[in-house]
Amino acid sequence: MDINVRKRSQVQVIQLRGALRMGPAVDSLRQTLEEALGNGDTRIVMNLSEVPMVDSSGIGLLVRFLALIKQQGGNIKLAQPSKFAVQTLRLVGVLKLFEIFDNDDAAVESFA
Amino acid sequence: MPAEFSGGPENSALTELLDLSVPADSVAIAAVVDAISETLARLEVPEQKRFEVALAVQEALANAVVHGCGNDPSKQVRCQLKSDPQGRILISVADPGPGFSPDLVHDPKRRENVYADHGRGVYLIRQLMDEVHFERSGSEIRMWKY
Repeated sequence: MDINVRKRSQVQVIQLRGALRMGPAVDSLRQTLEEALGNGDTRIVMNLSEVPMVDSSGIGLLVRFLALIKQQGGNIKLAQPSKFAVQTLRLVGVLKLFEIFDNDDAAVESFA
Repeated sequence: MPAEFSGGPENSALTELLDLSVPADSVAIAAVVDAISETLARLEVPEQKRFEVALAVQEALANAVVHGCGNDPSKQVRCQLKSDPQGRILISVADPGPGFSPDLVHDPKRRENVYADHGRGVYLIRQLMDEVHFERSGSEIRMWKY
């Protein structure tokens, strides 16, 4: 999985490309989120437009960090989640936990 | 139907498409999932069905690696992919572990579980596949997609 992180208006925009599943992909994203939290960055937009699969490990990671970051007054918002990512998150009942936006700009501006 | 696949639709003619044994590690099982997706694509299985099968296989293999093999890559997990003349797909995933009781799996959609960082794999498999059978005390799963 490729992970690209950039900062826009005090918001970390994390672009993922590839399957978010157990192993290197989930480990890399965990590290990215831990670094963001360590730096005090709790406003996060995660672009899932190029994520064709999110397995239960990926879901667990997303909801765990969503809870941690919300405890610190921040949020993880999803931008352009793929059709299959949405289906999977809905199937296990966690889609409603996330704010979802059509693009990065709208998600970033929602933090203003 | 071979006795080893006794659970599922009645059928006497299953075609073996893949039979892979791989080390119990996450990179190896990802390759198996991708191989299954590519095989189903070659058979012109619709994208939605391919996605559902691939995610269910990913979950079954992940369970086999973590719970069946204790993340020990010296152990092996086996995955077989078969189809019948009606286009129904049968997948089995087996590990050398002691198994588990699928009845003890909790409902991840309950309020107290919704933020849990684990415990959704078997639930997902049951949602994605049309028939799910646990054999050998849970160390083998057989899943049908119609």
